[in-house]
Amino acid sequence: MAARVSEWLDERLGWRKVWEAIFLRKVPKTNWYYTLGSAALFLAVNQIVTGILLTIYYVPTPDHAYDSVQFITGQVPAGWLIRGLHHWGASAMVILVGLHMLRVIVHGSYKYPREVTWFTGVFLLLAVIGFGFTGYLLPWDQKAFWATIVGTRIAAVTPLIGDWILRVMRGGDELSAVTLARFFGVHVWVLPAALLSLILVHLYLVIRIGISALPKRGE
Amino acid sequence: MRETKRFDRRQFLGALTWGIGALISAGLGIPAVAYVIGPALQRKEAQDWIRIGSTTKVELGTPTLFKARVTRRAGWIENEEELSAYVRTDNGRDFIAMSNICTHLGCRVRWVSGEQKFFCPCHNGVFDKDGNVLAGPPPRALDRFEIKVEDEQLFILGG
Repeated sequence: MAARVSEWLDERLGWRKVWEAIFLRKVPKTNWYYTLGSAALFLAVNQIVTGILLTIYYVPTPDHAYDSVQFITGQVPAGWLIRGLHHWGASAMVILVGLHMLRVIVHGSYKYPREVTWFTGVFLLLAVIGFGFTGYLLPWDQKAFWATIVGTRIAAVTPLIGDWILRVMRGGDELSAVTLARFFGVHVWVLPAALLSLILVHLYLVIRIGISALPKRGE
Repeated sequence: MRETKRFDRRQFLGALTWGIGALISAGLGIPAVAYVIGPALQRKEAQDWIRIGSTTKVELGTPTLFKARVTRRAGWIENEEELSAYVRTDNGRDFIAMSNICTHLGCRVRWVSGEQKFFCPCHNGVFDKDGNVLAGPPPRALDRFEIKVEDEQLFILGG
């Protein structure tokens, strides 16, 4: 039965070719460091699932942000788990993409013909840092508030356009309801759209070009 | 003759990958369902006796509307809400308290003394002075509150 269904679907969708291209492709002999990208991808899925779940109760206004987060953590069944996974997943994500980048540097995997893969990876790193920065404000507690005061002030050090950047980030002179709302909007709409598009290109290139072999001495 | 391998290393690792994937999915999926439907399943908080007013305000034979402020928690927000009840007595000693919420779709009913009936403005539900359905779509009589009298004061059980 299952075989007939998959046959019927394959005839119409051609999914088997896609499956083979993604999961049954030939790879050179590698080591465990080559799994860091997959680990980051796994975490991205974790962040997407738990992040969507958090928006079911979270409200991004100064009146409700802190209380709704406390409600999620203390009242909702498994809320502590969902929030915990998102919280710790975020830190793990930053660490993993950092290690993944180091792996690529050490093995020289950024070289021809994988330059574009590298560039999309650089933008993915920026997206992940953006997620971390915007997400940090959302619980709207003291740590979130002051970390964002400091973070936006750091951006303001930029020569010439620093003040302008600070105002755009905060949505005004002060950190306010406007800041919280725009950080939320960037965190749940702008960055996910960017991340998903970049991941799509990144993975397409990894599969199309294939992963690099371990470099040999004298090469 | 070599025996055909039923389950080689490759198949084992494949099955293991699927198995771990299924475990992780269940480990996140089951809490996710509890998380989404959890607050909907929580029972209402305990009910309290709420003072709604003096017995002297109730005219004999006429349902009289009483209003009381109650605090309700919804999620992380505490709201002051109005709790309304029609109280009726025929002899000044025995009281009944009826909800003014229509049992059809939740609109507020109104006592029209000229007709001696409750009317619901939404879909023309009509109830008699005891809250029984006389006409229209309501499926059952108006809900009753438990009521008690202490020191000439009326209390209803609600929350």
